[in-house]
This record gives sequence, C-alpha cells and structure tokens, in this order.
Amino acid sequence: MSLERAKKLMTSGEAVERFVNSGCMLGVGGMHAHNNPMALIREVVRRGVRVGTLVTSPSANVNADLLIGAGLVDEIYCSYVGFEHLGLAPNFRTAVEQKRIKVREGDEAAVVYGLRAGMSSLPFIALPKGLELADTAKVNTHDFGTTTDPFTGQTVLCLRPIKPDVSFIHCQKADSHGNGIFEGSKFTDVDMAKASDKVILQVEEIVSDDYIEKNASRVAIPAMLVDAVVHAPFGCHPTSSHSYYRYDEPHLLEYLKACKDGFDSYLQKYVRGPKSHEEYITVVGEHTLANLKEAH
Amino acid sequence: MNMQATIADIMAVEMSHHLKNGEVAIMGAYSAIPMMACRLAQLTHAPDLTFIAGGSGAVNPKLRPLVASSCDWKLNTAESVLSLSDVIDLEARPEIDVFFAGGLQIDKFGNCNLVCVGDWANPKLRGPGTVGLPFLSRAGRCVIYTNSHNKRLFVDKVDFMSGPGFLDGVSYGRRKPIGAGPSLVVTPLCTFGFGKERTMKLRTLHPGIALQQVIENTGFALTPPATLPQTPMPSGEELELLVKIDPAGIARNSIR
Repeated sequence: MSLERAKKLMTSGEAVERFVNSGCMLGVGGMHAHNNPMALIREVVRRGVRVGTLVTSPSANVNADLLIGAGLVDEIYCSYVGFEHLGLAPNFRTAVEQKRIKVREGDEAAVVYGLRAGMSSLPFIALPKGLELADTAKVNTHDFGTTTDPFTGQTVLCLRPIKPDVSFIHCQKADSHGNGIFEGSKFTDVDMAKASDKVILQVEEIVSDDYIEKNASRVAIPAMLVDAVVHAPFGCHPTSSHSYYRYDEPHLLEYLKACKDGFDSYLQKYVRGPKSHEEYITVVGEHTLANLKEAH
Repeated sequence: MNMQATIADIMAVEMSHHLKNGEVAIMGAYSAIPMMACRLAQLTHAPDLTFIAGGSGAVNPKLRPLVASSCDWKLNTAESVLSLSDVIDLEARPEIDVFFAGGLQIDKFGNCNLVCVGDWANPKLRGPGTVGLPFLSRAGRCVIYTNSHNKRLFVDKVDFMSGPGFLDGVSYGRRKPIGAGPSLVVTPLCTFGFGKERTMKLRTLHPGIALQQVIENTGFALTPPATLPQTPMPSGEELELLVKIDPAGIARNSIR
C-alpha cells in the first residue's frame, strides 16, 4: 500500500489559527522593505493574537511596526526597526517612548549569532572580541552574559540562543510540502527557519514536485522544517518580494502618514476590513500591484 | 554635458579618494552615498576594491542604476549575493578594511549612536537601533558620513554607544583595539579627521561653506587650524561617472 505524502498547503487563516498561540515567541523574516511576510502578519492582526516576544531579522520594517501599532506586541527583541530612507518607524518609536512595549535591545550580532546558537542547539554562543564595546549588552542582561573562555581564561561576551516558537518566512517558490526556493537575497531567513520550532512558509508561487526535483540544489528551506505553506501572491505588499515586485513606496508613505494621524482607519481599510489576503489584494487594487512587478 | 556638482557628489568623491585599490568596504542601511563612492572608486583608481552592500548581501553590485534601499533586489546584479550570516562571518574576520557608519548622534571621539536620545530606559527619542555598528570595533578603519550637520547630531558624548569609535579617547589605547578606529568624517558642510587626542579635527570645508557655519552647527568645541583647505570639487570625469551611476539623483540629490 502506498500512502500519499502530506500536503501542507493552507490559507493564512488556517496557518495562524493552528500554529500561532497567544503569548508565543514569533519570528518574522524579511529585511527592510523586502520579503516581509505581510499576509501572515495581517492575519495575526485580524485575529488579534497577542505576541509575547517578537523577534525580527537585523532590520525590521512594517512587519514589526504594524503588529506594534495594532497593540499586539508585549516585547520585542530587535536590532533595528525603521523605514530606511523613508524615516523612523512611528509605532515602534511611540510605543518605546511611552513604555507600552518592552525592548530586549539587540544588534546584528545578537540576532545572527543568537539564531546560529538557536539553530544548532548550542547552550549559548561566545562572541568575537570588540563587540563588548557597544552598550547593547549593558542594557540587555537577559540575552547577553559573560563567561570564562576555558582555553585562554579570558572573559568573553556570550549570547542566549534565539529559538522562536513559530516563524513567518517568505520565499518566492515552494512545493506543497514546503521545499522553499529564494529567488533573491535570503537575509537571515534560513537561519530563522532552522532555529524555530514551527515554520509557516508564505510563497508567491506554488511549484510542482517535479520542478523541485529539477531545482533541488536551489532549495534553501527543506520541507522537514516547514509546518504550513501559504500561497499568497503579492503577500509581501507593501514591501517587495525579491525578483517578483518592488516595494510600494506610495503605500509605505501612506502608512507612515496614517501612523501619525488615523492609524485605526488604516487598520480598518487594509487589515481588519478585508477578511482574507484575497480581499486585501482587491482593496489595494490589481492595477497598483501590476505596476510594481519587476522587469526581467 | 553641462552639470553642476551637488553636495552629495562632493561627499562621494571625498569618500572615494579615501578608498584604496584592493580594499574591502562595507556599508549598512541608508547608504546610497557610500555605495556611489565605492562604485566611483572602482571605475577610477580602485578597480579591485570590493564592497558589500549592506543587508542585501550583494558583493560588488554594478549599480545600473543606484537604488535607495540597501536590500533592494536590483543590487543583486552583482558578483555574489551572501546571506547575512556570511556577511557577519566576514565582519568578524579581519576582512573588512573600511566600514561606513552613521548615527543619530555622533560624538567628538567618533562614537555613533542609533538607539536613543536621552537615557535608554527613558528616551526622549527612540531611534531605529544599532544593527551592525558594534562591528566597527573590528574593522580596519571607519568612515563616518551623515546627511545633516547640526548640534543635535554632532554632540560631545553619545547617549548610547552603538558603534565604538575612539571611546573616551584615553581608554581606547588600553583596550588593545583590533582596528585603527575612525579615520574620516564626511558631512554636508565639511570633512573631519582625528588628532592626537583622538578627537575630531576639521580637515576641509566644502566650497561655499564658512568656518563659522561649521562651528555654530557642531555641539563640541573645534580648534580649527590657521588655514583650512577646501574639499575638492569632482573632476569632469568623476562628475560624469556619478551621473551615470545615479541618473535619477537618488543619492546625488539626497541632501538639501
């Protein structure tokens, strides 16, 4: 008797319902305004699931700022939340200044080495000399500590591993089992997937098993790490999906403006109003999205 | 071609002259001017310069043309595209000769702060965060650049140490540092080097900028030398290349 292989394809609603528990540690992938798994993030807001700790790639953007603006994040472990050349992240900034969110201050080393420890089941990871000169470790004694190097006797700065309960990762292609291919930069997304207990993979395109067989050497995320595959074309909007479409700068500027005045109406129009990713696409408009496509 | 050099052009040319053939440079977010400087250096005196464009992980992007975001897919028209984990490995090795850095506060010892104004636990302004700046401590040298020049930015002492420069000046030597520390600061008004006390020293003034203007917009005392040279204008060839690298003026017109 031969059984059929499990398919992990589900809607963003089903995936968030099954794998994102209130108070969990949630990892979100993507860097700056690129590859942010926004369809999944909007689903979390729609469902009002509380995030105990949000952990991001070294440079978070609207992925973190939207969740914070919706009032769903208790604590964030991050090294940067901002909009690069477009300015500061308004919801993050206000929430920190008004002490409505706890910050576990990080830096690029904290995120990358922390994930490295998390994905390899290291009890902790010792850091290269020099990084102790920054103030990060001084204000975050939860994640940074020191120990004695057993080989030299010197004091070394160390990090706690990062092990998210569940992570949202966007890549461009995957089969229905979750073998994922990036058609562009990978940032820290593969590390985050490996360090996480559960992984929800959001993709632009579902490809056949046959396609994966012919492109196996390009698969960066093996299916065994993946618990759910969510097909969400334009699922990174308003950020980019590498090689598929650019970030939507006018929309990001509209978002930044709404943060200052009228964030509730932004949430109503684009996040809580649409009942699914498909409805979101209709609200944004297919014409707007078609104009963002990258030329090849 | 009848072209006028912009402030960003002058800054990019100055940074470009600072880069040597065969070196490896790296920059982070919001780095259109340093990217333009690196590409200019490759197309002029430093064909074997290597640069890593921030979080994209792109090595030697061709910038046809320059784009605003440091993680843009268009940067991947390059020689290789690394993961952030790979980039960190290079930053930890003695591979990086020049690290481009900036901040929302920069102090007289060349320390940079991207985290907060005021006390960390009780900030007057919360900035985006430190990202890769702690690796300044391991880079060969560091070039600091900024798109504005005022007293809020150039301060006596940073409120948070994101990117270590010469620390408090005195303890830097005792720390047995790995790299040589900050070597050049490029602002829209002037350039600074560093003196014996490891503090910023005025080096050149940009064309049309008065010394008094720099003094009034800097939050620490300056002791300018008797004569101060002007920052060189781009040559005709350099200006043509800059326009070719950045036809839309993303970096060139980024300073007003």
